[in-house]
Amino acid sequence: MTDENMTHENEDKLLAAARKLSTEISPGRDLWPGIAEAIENPAPRRWTPMLAQAAAVMLLIGASSSLTYVIVKEQQPTQITGTPTGMIFEQTSFANRYSLGPGFQDARDALANDLQTELVRLSPESRANVETNLMLIHEAIAEMNNVLEQEPDNALLQEQLLRAYREELGLLRRVSGLTRNIMMRNDI
Amino acid sequence: MSLDTEKWHLAALLTAESSDYSRYMGTASTDAFADEAAWIRQAQRSDSRAFEALYRLHIDRVYGLCLRMTGNVAEAEDCAQEAFIQAWNKLDRFRGDSAFSTWLHRIAVNSVLGRMRKEKREQERILAVVDNAPLPVDSGDSGELKDLSEAIDRLPEGARHVFVLNAVYGYSHDEAAKMLGIAVGTSKAQLHRARRLLAQQLKQQGFEA
Repeated sequence: MTDENMTHENEDKLLAAARKLSTEISPGRDLWPGIAEAIENPAPRRWTPMLAQAAAVMLLIGASSSLTYVIVKEQQPTQITGTPTGMIFEQTSFANRYSLGPGFQDARDALANDLQTELVRLSPESRANVETNLMLIHEAIAEMNNVLEQEPDNALLQEQLLRAYREELGLLRRVSGLTRNIMMRNDI
Repeated sequence: MSLDTEKWHLAALLTAESSDYSRYMGTASTDAFADEAAWIRQAQRSDSRAFEALYRLHIDRVYGLCLRMTGNVAEAEDCAQEAFIQAWNKLDRFRGDSAFSTWLHRIAVNSVLGRMRKEKREQERILAVVDNAPLPVDSGDSGELKDLSEAIDRLPEGARHVFVLNAVYGYSHDEAAKMLGIAVGTSKAQLHRARRLLAQQLKQQGFEA
């Protein structure tokens, strides 16, 4: 008998033995009291699937915004083609209860108003990238606002939403800064 | 079985003293499984006593799976508890497309995987072996099966999970892969790896199945 056959034989024995192992094992203590306590007095919801989804979206935004920044930063100004699609910027909101301060609102409104002009200066690829990221951010904001309607005192979610608004403002500033650089080079 | 009879079974079961309860479960397990569907329906209507009956019916198999997958008593207890709490929270989503035990097993596997991913318990487990002796794992196996059981505990995580689900609990590669969130090919490769590693370990111990 070859070594290989012997190995196969041993492994078959092994599998046969594995099927004889106990599949039902009693825990050393009754686990029910802990389960009963948890299901009868559930802890306040702190981390819901929607929250997890919102956090995941935020991560995606962070990653893709960084990518946009790198792509846009390294890109030389190129020909201007086409007209960008319209972007809708809703008023900042925290479940319709609060909004961000007037300074933030003014800065955001000004950048949002200029966005269409700024986007025209970018290449189609960069423009699509920026628009996709803004759309992602807006979707995340809307989703988090929906959850905040149900959990208005959720501090973690409020923090995430604030981050989303900051991310949006940061992206708008980067686009604005980039196009100003382009204009300066063109002027030269 | 009429609804009244179902209620009687449930009431008799749940109002019994614990020793009577154990006897019921021990001597009439077929009846108990027949009543499972009724308990599920009751539990889906937020009846925690019916859910307790489901717990009593399935805990040994769920705990066994958790223990085999983690190789650690404390973690297995936590995972089994977590699995039942999750099951309670998701009970309205159970439609009976698979056996309740299979559904519970999926939740238990997720509980084990989530715990290991989140807290890197696997590393802690290895360190714990060195630093602090963990609670001895009593799987109820004896003789050479105990050697095999201990050898399984020493397998790397991925190989151990596939081996336990496939070779011990009899799930197909397709089912095991779905539970573990891996490709079927990976499941097969991990089983092959587990078998090879176990054969090597047990050969040194003169294992004869």
